Amino acid sequence: MKTEHAIHSGKHQRKHKKEFINVNNAERLISLAAGGMLLAKHYKHPLANPIKVLTGAFLVYRGLSGNCPLYTGLDKNSNETNAINTRVIFTVNKPREEVYRYWRQLENLPFFMSHLQRVEQKNDVESEWIARIPGGVGIIKWNAEIVKEIPNELIGWQSIENSTINNAGKVEFYDAPRGQGTVLKVIFSYHPPAGALGEGVAKLFNPLFKTILKEDIRAFKQVIEAGEVATIKGQPSGRK
Amino acid sequence: MKALCWNGVRDLRVERVPDPEILNPKDAIVKVTMSSVCGSDLHLINGFVPSMKAGDIIGHEFIGEVVETGAGVKNLKKGDRVVVISVIGCGECQYCKEETWSLCDNSNPNGLLQEKIYQYPTAGIFGYSHLFGGYAGSHAEYIRVPFADHGAFKIPEDISDEKAVFVSDGVPTGYMAAEMAAVKPGDIVAVWGAGGVGQMAMQCAYAMGAERVIAIDRLDYRLANAARYSGADIINYEDTDVLEELKEATGGRGPDCCIDAVGMEAHTTGIEHVYDKTKQFLRLESDRAAVLRQAIAACRKGGTVSIVGVYAGLVDKIPMGLFMNKGLTIRGGQMHGQKYVPMLFDLIRREIINPEFLLTHPVSLEAGQKAYEMFNDKTNKCMRAVFKPFN
Repeated sequence: MKTEHAIHSGKHQRKHKKEFINVNNAERLISLAAGGMLLAKHYKHPLANPIKVLTGAFLVYRGLSGNCPLYTGLDKNSNETNAINTRVIFTVNKPREEVYRYWRQLENLPFFMSHLQRVEQKNDVESEWIARIPGGVGIIKWNAEIVKEIPNELIGWQSIENSTINNAGKVEFYDAPRGQGTVLKVIFSYHPPAGALGEGVAKLFNPLFKTILKEDIRAFKQVIEAGEVATIKGQPSGRK
Repeated sequence: MKALCWNGVRDLRVERVPDPEILNPKDAIVKVTMSSVCGSDLHLINGFVPSMKAGDIIGHEFIGEVVETGAGVKNLKKGDRVVVISVIGCGECQYCKEETWSLCDNSNPNGLLQEKIYQYPTAGIFGYSHLFGGYAGSHAEYIRVPFADHGAFKIPEDISDEKAVFVSDGVPTGYMAAEMAAVKPGDIVAVWGAGGVGQMAMQCAYAMGAERVIAIDRLDYRLANAARYSGADIINYEDTDVLEELKEATGGRGPDCCIDAVGMEAHTTGIEHVYDKTKQFLRLESDRAAVLRQAIAACRKGGTVSIVGVYAGLVDKIPMGLFMNKGLTIRGGQMHGQKYVPMLFDLIRREIINPEFLLTHPVSLEAGQKAYEMFNDKTNKCMRAVFKPFN
């Protein structure tokens, strides 16, 4: 489970009809994540839930190889669609300048974003992002650039062209009323694959992305307010 | 170490579990010297609070000795004798800064789970289900205390363990009940439930100047205690019509302040109790609200109803018309213990309040299942069983 597969971005070649790679990068990623999670959850007792294990294995294959036998059968190839946005709004009890400064230091993001392994700022605008795929099946890398920045008010970023993950995001910072800290509006958007199946998969996983984002945002609030993230991982219980 | 674990409805067992460790910089490890049962544990044990997992260590009302502190702990050191507030607060969020500690934004690791039900996450509580953070509880030899600088208070030397243990939860809950009921000098205060929390509410109501406190329960031994230790007039609701009695006792006006110290497993008489038991059994309502209904009905016009008995979900048949047309105020909440502790120590020292009589049964962890059965069934004149893990 520990092997690291970095998925490299590749250009879609839609000319040939029965191409081996018929799943786009975003969808491969979703497949990997979903399959990895299914396997991670059920690998201990595969026989208890054979359908989930098989589905997991199929999704991992689809993600790693970029080939979907179902798509081949349907003569389908996924491509561009509308972005799916995930939006979270929350308040932290710290001054706007402090919150902005912490967020702008992109290296800080992995402290609260559970799936980010590392963010490295290459220069003022460009950065390299490394994330773990849920389920521990590998890592993915992409590069992003800050496309808009108003100090203490707004940061906007976008993955650079041909990235593994086609994503963009924006954080806006406002003063909360009565001096109660800072309101943050966070929007993440990513491009899901096309086609009924691809959109279905994307819709299925949108709540998951939203949950991950909300967990991360809660962790951000805990880090910047309380200085640590509340946890019970590692505490005793009577569970065997 | 040994710990009392919840393994299912009415199934508690002492298990060998690993000792707790410091997990975060602001944690401390406390060696538990006393840990009390609490009426709110019964809701977990009887299966009315969701998100319990087999193996969870329960217990949340305790005192002990600090044995280890994390790098971020500044006010405590090894050897300190402390009472730990059952509700966990980070001390830094807006709610903690405003001393509404049980509303802490940051102390519940399962905040997102709770948000789905309550819309906004509330504070973590020791040993009180995964909805409230899933923290390991205090019916154990050792416990990890997060945000220890804010939740653990050194016990003054002249206050005994037997009094201090209830400052963890029962006393501040009673105090906040009286405070939310807005007790003023001269008020007549009715308190439903003559258990530990109810009696602390009675004593605190007197401390705030109440003219008269009336205790309502069905257990004669508890009512006798309420009369003896908390100075209350008493009503056994099984023998009489509570609403008529309360009118009689208040010159026909009704009590100024009504406190619900019972919560979601309320008993009542007759068809209403059968109705609630049935609906709760069928999961058509999660909480039985007989006391709350009666408190709303009994309260004088313009009076205040204060709720500290625990509710978890939905209740049925709340008389909204009475609430609205009588112009009542209803308040409720888990207590903000951290705010009250220094003042409570002072009130205890001056013997204005005294919780010591609550400790009727000191027991070992091994007696856990039996102790909770006794506490649940109200046998042996039990007020509170208190575990002493090292005796």
